[in-house]
Parts: sequence; structure tokens; C-alpha cells
Amino acid sequence: MRYAFWPGCVSKGGTPELYPTATSVAEKVGMELVELDQATCTGAGALGEHDPKLVDVLNARTFALAEREGLDTLLTICSTCQGVMAAVNYRLREQPEYLAEINETLREEGLEYKGTLTVTHMMWALVEEVGIDHLKTMVFRPLRGVKIAPFYGCYILRPRYVLGMNEHPNRENYLEKLIEAVGAEPVDYEGKSKCCGFPILTINNDTAVTMVGNHSSEAKENGAHVMVTPCPLCHLNLDGYQPNASSKRGNNINLPVLHLPQMIGAALGFNETELHLKRHIISTDSFVEMSGIQRA
Amino acid sequence: MATIQHDVIIIGGGLAGMRAAHEALTQGGDVAMISKIYPTRSHSAAAQGGMQAALTEEDSWESHAYDTVKGSDYLGDQDAIEILCREGVDDIIAMERMGVIFNRDESGKIDARAFGGTSAKRTCFVADQTGQALLHVMWEQLLRLGLKTYDEWFVTDLLVENNRCVGSVAMQISTGQLHLVRAKATVLCTGGAGHIYAPSTNGLAVTADGLGMAYRAGASLMDMEGVQHHPTTLKSNGVLITEGARGEGAYLLNSKGERFMENYAPNMLELASRDVVSRAETTEILEGRGVDGTVFIDLRHLGRELITTKLAQIYELARDYANCNVIEEPLPIQPGYHYLMGGIKTDVDGRTWDVSGNNKWKGVEALFAAGETANVSVHGGNRLGGNSLLDTVVFGRRTGAGAVEYAKSVDYGEISEASVKDTEARIKSLFDRPDGVRSATLRREMGAAMNDGIAVFRNEESMNIALQKVRALKEKLPEVSLHNSGRIFNTDLLAYFELENMMDVAEAIALSALSRKESRGAHARTDFPDRDDENWLKHTLATKGNSGPEISYLPVTITKWEPTVRSY
Amino acid sequence: MQANLKIQRYDPEVGEEPRYDSHQLDLPEYATVLDALLQIRDDVDGSLAMRASCRSAICGSCSMRINGEARLACKTLIANIVQVEGAEVTIEPMGNMPVVKDLVVDMSMFWDKVQKIQPGLLPKTPEPEREFIVSNDSMLDLATALNCIMCGACVSDCTVLEVDKEFIGPAALAKAYRFSNDPRDNATDLRLDLYSQENYIWSCTRCFQCVQVCPKDVAPMEKIMSLRKQTIEAGHTNNPGTRHTQAFADSIRKTGRLDEIRLTVKAFGITNITAMIQLIPIGWRAFRHKKMPHLLPKSISSIKNVRRIMDKLGNE
Repeated sequence: MRYAFWPGCVSKGGTPELYPTATSVAEKVGMELVELDQATCTGAGALGEHDPKLVDVLNARTFALAEREGLDTLLTICSTCQGVMAAVNYRLREQPEYLAEINETLREEGLEYKGTLTVTHMMWALVEEVGIDHLKTMVFRPLRGVKIAPFYGCYILRPRYVLGMNEHPNRENYLEKLIEAVGAEPVDYEGKSKCCGFPILTINNDTAVTMVGNHSSEAKENGAHVMVTPCPLCHLNLDGYQPNASSKRGNNINLPVLHLPQMIGAALGFNETELHLKRHIISTDSFVEMSGIQRA
Repeated sequence: MATIQHDVIIIGGGLAGMRAAHEALTQGGDVAMISKIYPTRSHSAAAQGGMQAALTEEDSWESHAYDTVKGSDYLGDQDAIEILCREGVDDIIAMERMGVIFNRDESGKIDARAFGGTSAKRTCFVADQTGQALLHVMWEQLLRLGLKTYDEWFVTDLLVENNRCVGSVAMQISTGQLHLVRAKATVLCTGGAGHIYAPSTNGLAVTADGLGMAYRAGASLMDMEGVQHHPTTLKSNGVLITEGARGEGAYLLNSKGERFMENYAPNMLELASRDVVSRAETTEILEGRGVDGTVFIDLRHLGRELITTKLAQIYELARDYANCNVIEEPLPIQPGYHYLMGGIKTDVDGRTWDVSGNNKWKGVEALFAAGETANVSVHGGNRLGGNSLLDTVVFGRRTGAGAVEYAKSVDYGEISEASVKDTEARIKSLFDRPDGVRSATLRREMGAAMNDGIAVFRNEESMNIALQKVRALKEKLPEVSLHNSGRIFNTDLLAYFELENMMDVAEAIALSALSRKESRGAHARTDFPDRDDENWLKHTLATKGNSGPEISYLPVTITKWEPTVRSY
Repeated sequence: MQANLKIQRYDPEVGEEPRYDSHQLDLPEYATVLDALLQIRDDVDGSLAMRASCRSAICGSCSMRINGEARLACKTLIANIVQVEGAEVTIEPMGNMPVVKDLVVDMSMFWDKVQKIQPGLLPKTPEPEREFIVSNDSMLDLATALNCIMCGACVSDCTVLEVDKEFIGPAALAKAYRFSNDPRDNATDLRLDLYSQENYIWSCTRCFQCVQVCPKDVAPMEKIMSLRKQTIEAGHTNNPGTRHTQAFADSIRKTGRLDEIRLTVKAFGITNITAMIQLIPIGWRAFRHKKMPHLLPKSISSIKNVRRIMDKLGNE
């Protein structure tokens, strides 16, 4: 399967471990990625707070770039990008007149979005395109005995109608399915579908850090050895600010947080370097050891 | 003894109660509002289609008044109807000023839609949730003004000394604690009698509380035979489908696909008044042209755009509770209990007693009532759609003013703490009862009996059966036992108090209906099919006697419009 | 239709921990969760405490958590959820508010928050003799907020309120939108000033939970986003939220992408010394783990087009 690929800014910036791992995993499972190097930031939900139309135009531009490549599906590896793009795509496809208005703005660059694109996240593509059964056959190193807490965050779950949940109701359980597919055991906890706090990190730091502490502690208390998330922004907060959450709570939470492609990659046999696990704030040593991942 | 005290206590937080509170407050009164549910939960929110007033230059309040008089089948008091229609214009403007987002016409003025029994388009509306829009705006204003409210307090009894209401006993539901409530003026705005009938369009909270309490306190219940069945309700749960749907042009069809209203009201068709349409539907069903006890409302020709904007709630209700997409298919509906035209007899300022001192009717001094609880009477034998919301704001306002004015003229009455102890002892004895019947069982049986005997059509025999059934059920009240003897949020206890209120009122309805030996408005007797102005152009009054309700009569006030033949 | 209801029970007078009661019920095809609960309360266990009235999703009484999500019991058909979510239906009281008994929560915090946004239209002066002349569209726009029935579902499931009790919350802010966008209101600027303060619009994390659970399609979060735009346009910009969204635009204009370092610094405000000092160990941590973003990120080669678009849309 060939995809237009939008990696998102953070996968190369704040979480540089994500991009190389995700692209290697994609290659391994047979996803051909055509990266859109002229695409822009999606606005991440924040830009729309003062300029919603700009968000629609910028993302329509990205969709048009994908269409220009002759592709019908755009793959993301960031839940936030996924959520924003899915919402824009929904709006544009539902309202042809509005789409025409947006296209006016794109015309000067020779671009037009025809409304043919589907936006999908690597998590969905792994289940819906690659398939759980096929993925299982590719597992080289089952993560047996590892208890993994799925952390979905918001943008890949809500709102349902934008994210195709009516057609694919199981999308709310894909992380668990993937955790099982790699031979690990999913850990259930309430926080898995709540907000990580990242969007207001700079606005209300206290709330954002408290959320990190709540979710990682709850997962840990329910037995998780490690957490996995399909969203690099959640990762930035859950991993990057976990030390702050620990000191706020007065106990060392110490729960490693994986990007989804890292969990898949680990099971596919990638070594520690290929998984870029040294680039985490919370040490992943315990996970490396438990899973038998080859050290650098 | 826990006591609260305010010059004016309003019982009930629906639109009438809030409008009364607003007026009392803006006139500088010491006022508080008690409601057994949070005010925004009140059943006023369920009014859908709109609120009438002659706002345009082509229309006139006199025309509105005439339509209302005719709709009432000449049983409405015309002095009150004139006030309703004349002052209602300013009341709608006042509500707009408070923030109600009435739908607008192209010029930006308040738009209006057609409604049943009206000669002009004069029903102002907010999509199909007008009641909710009015209720919430009223509530916003009361928040702004800082009205003192006692939310989720249940009034168990009115306290009457020397035929004057000196207060009430109320229970804070969240704690179960009883309070003595002292007031110079007590205003009942507790809504209708909803769950005396089953099925019913009314909310579960509508349980005739004010009616029952006022009756026991000695007030008169007037024209209680006036029970309105709404022509379009859902079969599954009795939920209302607005008259606004027909106002926007929906058809009524029988099983043959015929617009049967052509045979009953050739001029007004689906927009005849409610009693006429409900009778027509019932006749179609009885004569075999229905399907499973229903006929159909057909909105398809109105189109998706109109349905999803002006009738959006209806679209959802049909989808959720009848699995019907009204854009694509006709919706099965049937007449169902909706509104009580009868109520506590008041004058045009909400007073339940005769201030002339002539004792033309039995009332209780210092006790006021407004809204569906009251009967002024503007609806007479049949209420027009769009007139109940108007009734709540016009007479809510006047009653609020009346109560403040009265409270200024009197001192607090003497009140005995024994009454609270009585209530406490009653609760205790309820908790101590051995296992018996469930109050819900009696409520359901009462609902079925009333619906069987005193519905769209009725006669001596059917009404007698209903009355005997209700009396038999009432005798079972001492056998009711509770599942819960806790004090915190004990809804089992409330259900019992509510049932007592409903039983008293059901009995009054049955006796009033039996007494009126003619057909008028919604009171359609198969044994007396005609209106009889010579003998029955008068109100029925039901007051508490030694062995149940006693019936007496009061003349109808006629100002401008002499009774004539009523046809649509 | 058969259904298995698992209901959370709690009675403070007994003082025990919450427990779950199970009920097997035979229900009509179109039974709602409320119908099922009423059947239980009427006939099986009258001690079950809950609120309910209209049965038609307009009074807002019967919100509760059904299978973990706040919904109106009267609007939730058992058949629909059993089909998608399995045969057992779990019923619990709403979240974020203290439980009074069983399914009844103390909503005083909810009402207090509505009071804080200063409800009540203050009509423009001089008042017209008759109604205000306004467009139908302007009223329809308010209707999207006024559809709110104050059921509390959004507040129950708000992920911010769970950790920050001071947040005004989605329902009250949807109500706020209704006033600040009412063309007849006389206090728009005062309102916008209030709403841009701490604990109001900028405390929302945009988690979409309220949009998801709202039974009346009010989409409170979208109202909050509109309020953010409105406050910024009205010049209430001296707050971290405005700086944050503005920094996004700046970054996209500069490179087409997110410049995370500058974004963070700008969002906190370079003059915010405390924040700047707090950023030092975080930056050091990132640097040590080789995850420090580029200090001088490159622009995409077509950045001129992006800037042109932004100019055209008037985004400065």
C-alpha cells in the first residue's frame, strides 16, 4: 500500500525518536510512504483558536499536495495531526461550496483539493490494512510478560463522527489489539482516553503536569510496565514532564512511555538503537531488558 | 424547628413561578422560590410549538381573544381572556428583551407560525423548543437578579389558620429535613396533573401537587372535567409531537392515506382546535381506519431543510422513540393526555379567594396560583395551542405583583409548629408500615382507569367506572409501603406524597366530569353529545367536603362574545 | 428484549462503600435506560435514587454515566448500546461532582459556575419600543448554545475539571457564548474581558470530551474556541493562551512548521522570568537525551506560498 505521508513536526523535533522508527516499521510491514515535504504544520488545534479558516486552507493545501502525487490516502503518525486533518477533511467534503472557496486561496500555487483523500493514522492502517493476523506472523520477538498501558489521548478518539467511528467502531480498541498482537498484555485504566494535558502546558502548567501524574500513576498502579501512545504530543508530556509530575506527587512514577511504532518495532526485532530508545526522558532500560531487545 | 421566612413564597419553578418571582423581585418584594426539582428541569421546557400574541399590524388582540373564546367553547371567562390577549403582546416583547431568541422574519422582527384554531399566524416560536428557550432565559434573569431559591425542596402541606394560608411545610430532599415555611403570601405554580393519566405527555415531576394541596386546604378546583388530549403523541411513551408540525403544514392521514380532517373540519383541516382533531383521530381509529391504535402525521412534503431547522426536536424524538425518519415516512401518532384546563379557581390577579367578600366561591386567603395549576379561566373547555406559555407569563407576572401587593398589607400569620411535627409523624408511620402495595402500582392503575373512562370521549358509565376505580385505589393508600426509610433523597417517599395529591385530584376530575351533563370543548360525552348553553354555560367547582369533592357552579363571565355554533 | 443492568449504589446513611446491584430485565423493544431504571425503581427497589422528569431529552435531569460515558438515560436506547457495547449495561452517577445518593450527584458546583459567567442579558440602550430587530441567523447562532439543557454531562466527563476544580467548565462557557454573541447585549466587552481571565476559556485542553458526550449537540468546546477567537479579536490578548496560538501562526509563517523552542518561549512569554527559569532543566533534559529540537529550523522551500495564504486571509 502506498501512502502520502505526513509525519508531523514533532516527530522530527521534540520527539526525534519517532520519525526514524515509524518509517522503518512502515517499510518492514510493507507500507510505502511518499513524504509530503512541502506540507505545513496542521495547526495542532491551537492555530484554529484564532484563525479557523487558515487551518482549513493549510490542510487543504496538504491534501492537494497528496492528490498531486496521485495518492488517495494520507498517513499520519501523530494523533493530533490525524484529528485536525480528519476534521478539516470532514468539513471540506461535507460542504462543497466551502471547499470551492478554500480552493480559491490555493489556486495561485497551482493546487486544488478535489476532496478525494482519506486521512488515516498508522495505528488504523496497521489494523485495517496490514491486519492483525498478518502482523502476528511478522512478530519476531513477542513481548511476552510485558504489561502495556494503552494511552489514546483525545484526537484519535473524538469526535467520533469525524474519525469514522461509526464505520469502524473498534477503532476505540486498536491499541489493545496491537498490544495483544505483539504478544504483550494490555492494562486497562480510566485515564487511557483522557487528555494528556499537553495543549495547555504553557497556559496552565499545573493542570497539564497533574494529568501526566494521574495517568502514568494509574497505569502503573494497575500493573503496567510501560505505556504506549500513538501521539507524539501526548508523548512529549507523558514522558518529558513525568519527572515534574513525580516531584509534584512526591513519588517516582518511572513509567517508560513508548511511541506506537517503537512497540511494533520491538516486536519486529529492531534493536535498541533502531528504536531510538535512548532518546527518552524516562529510562526505557527496564522495557529493553524485559523484552529481550538487543542493546546498542 | 428549622424555619424559613419570606413575605412571598412561590412554590414551583416553572415558567409561571419564575415569571411571578421575577415580577415580585423587580417590585422590591422579599421573595423566594421553592421547587421540588431544579427550576430548569420544570415541564415548561417541554412546550414545543410556541406562544401566541397578536404582534403584527394586520392582527389584533381582539381577534386573538375571539379565537380563544371560541376555542374554549365559550367556557372561558372573557374578562380574563381579554387580559391574556391584550397584555400578552407586551409580555412577549418583555421576554424578548430578557433574551429569548424568537425566530425572526426577513425584516428581523419576531416571526410567527400558524397554530390550531387561530385565524392568523400569531404563534411566536423558537424552533420547536419554545418552552425551553423561555424557561432558560427567565432563569438566566433570575440568576442575574439573585433570587433566593430553595431547589429540590418538596412542599408537603399548606398551613391554613382561619381560612388564611400562613405558610407551608417543606422537605429538603437532599437531607430529608422538614422546614417550617412562613409567608405572608404563598403562590402555587406547580403545574398540571400529568401522571393522573397514563400515557401522558407530561414529565414525571408533574403530579398535581399544588392542586392536591390547595384542594385539601379548602380552595376550589374549577372545570376539572376540562382535560386536554393532544392530537399528536407517540405511542411508545406518550411523548409530544408539537402542533407546530401541523402549523408548518404537516398532514394527518388515516390507514387509507386520506387526509381525514376534510371530513371533520373542512375549513381549518389539521389546524382545527385540539379537541376537534383528537376526536376526529379517535373516530378514525374506532371506525377501523387506524393502525394499531394510531393514525399518521405526515411531514414528508415539508422537506429536509424545514424539518431539520424548525422541527429539529421532533425529528430527533421520532427517530429516538419511534424509529421513524419523518423526512422519509409518516409517523404513527395518537391523542394523549396533555393538559389540564381545570385548576385552582383564581381571579385575574392570581388570588384564590373572592376579594369582593361575597364568597361567590370557596377560597383560601393569602393563597395565590398561576399557570397550569390555576384556572383564571382563559382556556375554558379547550385550550388553544400556544396559549399556555402565554398564560404562564401573563398571569405569572400579574400574580407575582398581586402577591407582593397583598404581602405589603398584612403581617405574618400565627403558625403552629405542631404541623411540622404532624408531617414528621406521618413520615415516621409510613416508614413503619408493613410490606404492602407499591405506590407505582396504584399510580399505573389510576392512569389506566382515567384513560379508559375520561379521555377523548366519555359517558356516564365510563366515568362512573373510572370514579369507582379511583376511589377503590384511594382506599388502598394506607396499604402502600416504602422500600426506603432513609432521609436522604428518598424518592419513594416523594412518590407517595405525589400519589396522594394525584388521587385527590383524579377524584375531583371524575366528579366534575360526571356533573357536567353536556358536551363542551374537550368534555365530549357520547350520552350528551351537544353543547347546552341554557343549562351548562357555567363553571363547575369542586371543593373538599366531608366525604370527597362537592360540586357547585359559578357563572361564566361574558363581555363581548355571545356563544354561537362552533365549527372549524 | 433482555438486558442486564449493573447499577452503582451508594447510600451515605448506611455509610458503606459504593456497590453494584445487578438486575435482569425484560424490556420492550424501544426501552430506554430510563425506562429500565423506572421499572426497577417502581417495582423492584424503590430505594434507588435518581433524577428524571421529561422523558424526552429536554429537562436535563437524567444524565448519568452509562457504560462509562455521561449520557441522558431517557435518550439512550438499550437496544442500541447493547448492540454495540455488549449485553451488560453499567450505570453510574456523573463524575466530577460529589454523589448524594446512588445516581444523584450534588450539582451545586455546576450551578455556581453558571452564575460566575454573569448570566442574564443586559439589553442595549436605548431599548427599542418593540422587539430588537435582529437577523434570524444571529438568533440561530445563539440557539446552538441555548440548546443546552444544563444536564451536566459535559461537566461530568470534562478532563480538565477532574484535575482543576477552578475551571469554569464547558456548560457555563457555552452559556457565556450565548451572551457574548447576542447582538442585543450591552456588556459584550466586559464579558469578554471576564472570560479571557484565568480559569475561563483558556483552561480548556481541547480534548473534545464535551463535544462527544453532549446529548444536544451544543459542542461546548467549539463554543470555547469561538470565544477564544472573539476575545483575541476584541483585544483581550495579554494572556498565555493568546500568546500560544499566536506563536503557532508566527512559527508557520516563518518556516511552515512548528519551531518548538520559539513556540514554547513565546507562549510562556519571554518576560515571564519564572517560566523561563523553569524551562532550563527541561531544556537540559531534552538536550541530554538528544531530543532538543533544532535551534534554527529550516523553512520548507515553498514557504512563500504559505505566507501568501496567510496574508490573503489577513493573518498577521
